[in-house]
Amino acid sequence: MAKEEPAGDQLAQPWSRSALLEQMPFNVAIIGRDYDIAQANTLFAEHFGEWQGKKCYQVYKKRNEPCPNCNTMATFVDGLVRVTDEVGVDQHGRTAHYVVHSAPLRNSPDGPIEYVLEMSSDVTETKRWQQEYQILFDRVPCYITVIDEDFRIIRANEAFRERFGDAQGERCYEIYKKRKRKCNNCPARKTFKDGKLHKSNQTGISSSGEKTSYIVTTSPLTRGEEKVAHVIEISTDITETRKLQQEMIDAERLAAVGQTVAGLAHSVKNILMGVEGGKYIVSLGLEKNDREMITQGWEMLSRNIDKTTALVKNFLSFAKGRLPLVRLVDPNAVALEIVDLYREVARASGISLRAELEPNIKVAPLDPDGIHTCLTNLVSNSIDACEMSKKDNRFVVLRTKNEKGALIFEVADNGEGMDYEIKRKIFTTFFTTKGGEGTGLGLLTTRKIVQEHGGKIIVRSKKTEGSRFRIVLPRKRLADLLAESKARAEKTKTE
Amino acid sequence: MMKAKILIVDDEPDVSLYLTTILKQAGYAPTAVATVKAGLAAMAEDIPALVCLDIMIPKESGISLYRQMKADPRLAKVPVLIVSGVVPSSDSDFNTLIAEWDVPPPDDYLEKPIKVDEFLARVKALLSRRVSARPLRNKSHG
Repeated sequence: MAKEEPAGDQLAQPWSRSALLEQMPFNVAIIGRDYDIAQANTLFAEHFGEWQGKKCYQVYKKRNEPCPNCNTMATFVDGLVRVTDEVGVDQHGRTAHYVVHSAPLRNSPDGPIEYVLEMSSDVTETKRWQQEYQILFDRVPCYITVIDEDFRIIRANEAFRERFGDAQGERCYEIYKKRKRKCNNCPARKTFKDGKLHKSNQTGISSSGEKTSYIVTTSPLTRGEEKVAHVIEISTDITETRKLQQEMIDAERLAAVGQTVAGLAHSVKNILMGVEGGKYIVSLGLEKNDREMITQGWEMLSRNIDKTTALVKNFLSFAKGRLPLVRLVDPNAVALEIVDLYREVARASGISLRAELEPNIKVAPLDPDGIHTCLTNLVSNSIDACEMSKKDNRFVVLRTKNEKGALIFEVADNGEGMDYEIKRKIFTTFFTTKGGEGTGLGLLTTRKIVQEHGGKIIVRSKKTEGSRFRIVLPRKRLADLLAESKARAEKTKTE
Repeated sequence: MMKAKILIVDDEPDVSLYLTTILKQAGYAPTAVATVKAGLAAMAEDIPALVCLDIMIPKESGISLYRQMKADPRLAKVPVLIVSGVVPSSDSDFNTLIAEWDVPPPDDYLEKPIKVDEFLARVKALLSRRVSARPLRNKSHG
């Protein structure tokens, strides 16, 4: 029950105290010195249940004795207004979080504190969201920091603190890279400038001095202000991923070495067979005193020694490898060069060689010598394939195209084509269908150069119908290649 | 006694010459061809007692010739000795390869470079197997 209003209350006011409490959008209660609830609004009653004749701790927390460190009593003692976080129990027995505002009530400005006014809001839902956000912020498997315009870390998540310690107030580049100046290509700097999301690859140095690779994403942290005052920096450590990628490349390289050695062994076996044969025939000739046989055997020996020399030379030029020397090149110009080079050879065999070039194709960063080698190999293979076919109207066509952000060179023919067995072996070292004429390295070298350009070769072929070799070079990778090539040139210059 | 006819299919002229010389010296009647097509043509005219076959032949692989022989009732029983550089180092590898090519296992195989004595021993064994196999086949047919 509401107590009688104390004497001296502003009875002259046109509104009553209880009417005032009813208007407040929170749970309101007036507590006396003996923990009695003197008055409360409807919201309070709906939330905490029956309150008349009960102590505040019974209603708020369903306890039988006063709470330790009671804020209400503290307000009675010092007369200060308090805002505190409290955990209570509502009328359904549900534990809830509250923000409680406690203020002293006096009958006169200098009079004693008669009551404490308590306004409480249920913030359980907000609290839950906060906790979830905090967990998300702390536990995501990347380092999150909030930095100010001076690049100082003002907040960091748990993952960051575990890795780098408490770096509050320090600059991000000092922590990630142990450097004294802002980084080149800093995405945070861009975000501060344009308020947009930016991303870049960065290499940091761990506390143990090891190189660490990060993908850094920055986004503005604004609350409607025009100027970006803070930036959220999210760094994902991709060192392990990079390491795995490198291991995979190394494993592929090793496999390629194995394949190459096997191919080399095969070629050597054939040559040895010739050497053995020559030796056998020479011996037989000597035994029979047959000069013709001796000559035949000797020629066989010489031929196979020459083959050894050629093989070793080819092998070395393949094995040497080199980094592509990239510059901006007109793809059509390279293609035309090849067509001009082979037109006569093709015509002599009754094959039409033509170019179908996409007009106004954009220049591309390419290693012109490398691409020249690739197209030479493909065009000469196509001419050979046509020579094997007895069709009329045999043709080889070299095309350039732009497709889905990739530059494409395509060599197609209507020659002999390949069956499944041959198709699956064409990129095998020393595989050749040209007998003693081929080295078995052409397509392998072609693929190697294409891969060095970040591209791939797609082969389509049908026995007796023809083949199509398509070099696909994504332009984005080519652009990276140009940047790398320039950086390499710079480095060589400074060295 | 008639000399046994042996067909050599290998695109390497030196290998063909070498094998031909060895076989001639041993008293056989070898013929050498360089392509699958020529091999099939030769066999259409005269069925040999044995075929020495290389696998890596331009245009059409030796496996293709082998497959065609096994599919042809006239040639299916002619023993085939594979003489090739691609022959794998172990029998189990070889069997894997045969399974991959999806052909019945050849009668025998030899890795290049060959040893003359071993080559002749294998040729002799395959030819005698063919001779001894004949009455058995006749019996089953009769």
